[in-house]
Amino acid sequence: MEREPLFNRKTAISYKTEEKTVMRGYNLSDLAEEGYSFYDALFILFQGRIPTSAEEKMLKYEMGEFMEHSMSPSAASAISVIAGRPNLPTAVAASIMTFGGVHGPGAAHGYMMNKYLERGRKEGKTIDEIAKTLVDEYLDAGEPVMGMGQPQHRDGDPRAEPTHLKQEELEIDGVYLKLQRAVEKHFHERRAREGRSFVGVNVVGAANTALMDIGFSPNAGWCIGSVSRGYSCAAHAIYNMKRGRAWAASRNEPMVQMLDLSLIKYIGPEDREVPSQEERQEYAQNQKESGEYEKWVI
Amino acid sequence: MGDLKKKTIGNLDSPKLPYDYSTRPYGTVPMDTTRPQFRWVSEVAYKNVHRIVSRGYDTTELVEQGYGIVDILFVDFQARIPLIEEEKMLNYIMILALEDGLSMPAALSRIVARSKTFLTQACGASILAFGHAYGAYSSFGNMLIESLAEVENEGKTMREVASAVVKEKLDDPALGVSSLMLKDPAAKRMFARADKLGVAGKYIKFTKELVAAAQEISPEPVDLDMLGATGACMMDLGFTPEATWAIIAITRSFGAGAHYIEEVERESYTQLGQELTSKDLYDGPEDQMVPPLADRDKFAIPAQTFTLEGWRKAFDERKLLQGSGFAIEEHVKDPSKKT
Repeated sequence: MEREPLFNRKTAISYKTEEKTVMRGYNLSDLAEEGYSFYDALFILFQGRIPTSAEEKMLKYEMGEFMEHSMSPSAASAISVIAGRPNLPTAVAASIMTFGGVHGPGAAHGYMMNKYLERGRKEGKTIDEIAKTLVDEYLDAGEPVMGMGQPQHRDGDPRAEPTHLKQEELEIDGVYLKLQRAVEKHFHERRAREGRSFVGVNVVGAANTALMDIGFSPNAGWCIGSVSRGYSCAAHAIYNMKRGRAWAASRNEPMVQMLDLSLIKYIGPEDREVPSQEERQEYAQNQKESGEYEKWVI
Repeated sequence: MGDLKKKTIGNLDSPKLPYDYSTRPYGTVPMDTTRPQFRWVSEVAYKNVHRIVSRGYDTTELVEQGYGIVDILFVDFQARIPLIEEEKMLNYIMILALEDGLSMPAALSRIVARSKTFLTQACGASILAFGHAYGAYSSFGNMLIESLAEVENEGKTMREVASAVVKEKLDDPALGVSSLMLKDPAAKRMFARADKLGVAGKYIKFTKELVAAAQEISPEPVDLDMLGATGACMMDLGFTPEATWAIIAITRSFGAGAHYIEEVERESYTQLGQELTSKDLYDGPEDQMVPPLADRDKFAIPAQTFTLEGWRKAFDERKLLQGSGFAIEEHVKDPSKKT
C-alpha cells in the first residue's frame, strides 16, 4: 500500500511512522496513556509545551462555554447545508467557515490587543492609558470595539463575565485581561458620558483574552473557538438530518418550513418582459444609459 | 405584480407544455396563515437574552461546575452527563484524533492557506477530507449496527456475522481492519484502555471478532486500525456513527488549524495561474489543431445514440476518457427519515 503523503512539507508540528504518531516530540498514544487531557494536547499542538494545571483548567472552561450557542450563524449554516442531505462533514465545514470578521472574530480581537499593547510599550503608556486610546480611536472612527456587544444577549453575554472571573480565580490574569478590563471600563464610561445604553463584553472579548493570557496566538485562539463550535453545529445538523424533513420546504409539515415559498419577500425591480435578441442591443443601451439599474447593483 | 402581459417567447407557447406559460402568474406567494410560521425548532439547545441552554443544562453553569467540552459532547449528542470513565475514554480518543502528520486534512488546510484565506476556511476544508474511505466512521459504525442487528435478530454468533462481513469487505477502507497499524500499538492500546476503564461493550467485542475473522482469511498480515479502534470505542460510549464521524473530523480540524498557521508562517502564497503542470504528467489526447469555427459541423461528433446497443457502445467508449466521469458508479443516498 502506498503510504507517502499526497503533500510534502517540512513541518515542525508532527510526524507519523509505521510505529507511532508524534506531535511536537510527544507520542500521542503515550500522552493519552499518561492521562493528559485533550486540552493539554492543544497546548502541545499550538505552543509545543505542557501547560500548568491552571492553564489547562482555563482552556477546558473556555472550550466548554463556547461550544454550544444555539441559534447563531454557524448553526444556521449547518442546518441550511444539511437540508440538501450532502455528506455530514459538508455541513460541519460550512458551520466553521461562517466564522469571519463579525461572528467570533477571535483573531481580529487578538491582533487588536497585540497592536495596542505594543504601541503602549513603545509610547511608554500604562495599560489603562493605552486602553483609553484604543476605545477612543475605535469609537471616534465609528467602528465597533471588538469584544464588546452581542446582538442576542443584550444585557450581557452569559459567558463573558464568568470567564473573566474564572481567569482571576485561577490567577492567570495577565497583561491581556488587564487590557481588556481597562478597555471595558473606558468603553462603559464613554458610552455613559454620551448617554448611550449599556453594552457588555461578549464571549470573544472574554474568552479570547483568556486564550491570549494562556499563551495562544490570535489565530490559534480563533481556531480553538471556531472549531469547538463545530461540535455543536454537528449536533444541530444531525438533529435536522434525522428528525427534520429534507429540503425544508414541504407543505405536509404542520409548521411552515424554513424554505417555504411564502417566506419570500421580494423588494427588487418590478416584473418585466425579457427582450428578444433582436431588441437586445438597443434595450441594453437604453437601460445602461438610464442608470436606473445602478440602485440595484450590489 | 402578477398581471404582466407578455408576447410569446421561444417554445413557451408549445402545445407540448402541460400549461400555458404566458399566463403563469408572477409575484411572490402569500403568507401561509393556515399553519404556524417557521420557527427554529431544536431538541439540542436554546438561548435567550440571559442564558445558553443545551439539553436542559445552562452551559455557563456546566463549565462553572468543572465540566469541559469533552463532557459537553455527551450533553449535546446524547443529552446526558457522562460517567467519569466515559469522559476519560473520550478524552483519550480525542488526543489520538488530534494529529496525524501530513494527512489529507492537513494537506487540504495547507492548500487553502496558500490562497491567503481566513484560518476558518482552512479548518472547514480539512473536515471535507472525511468521507467513506478516509475517516469512514459513518460507514464503519453503520456496518457495526447492521451486523449486531443480525446477531440479535437472526441468532447468529458474532464470529459468524464477522466472517461474512470480512468475506465481503476485506479490502474495504471502512472495515476497521487493515495493514496500517501493524507496527503502531496505538489502536490496540485504545481497546485495552476501554477495557481498563470498563467502557468496552458490544461494539468493541464485535470489532475484535472482525479482526480475528480478517486475520484468518487475509493473505497479508492485518490488524485493528485507528478507524476500527476509534469507531468501536465511540459507539460503546454511546455515540451514533454520524456523531462519531463529525466529532473525530472536527477534532482533527484543530490540528489542521496548526497546519494552516505553519503553512502561512513557513511557505508563500500561490497566485492564480502560478502552478504549471508538466506534460510528463499528461496522458490525455495528443495535441491537436483547433478547427475553424465555420467547419465545426465537419468535426463535431454528436453524442446522441438511438439504440440500446449504440448507447452501451458509446458509454464504454466514454469511459476511456479519464475525467469524463463515465467510469464512476456511486450511490448517492438519502439518509433522511422524512424526505
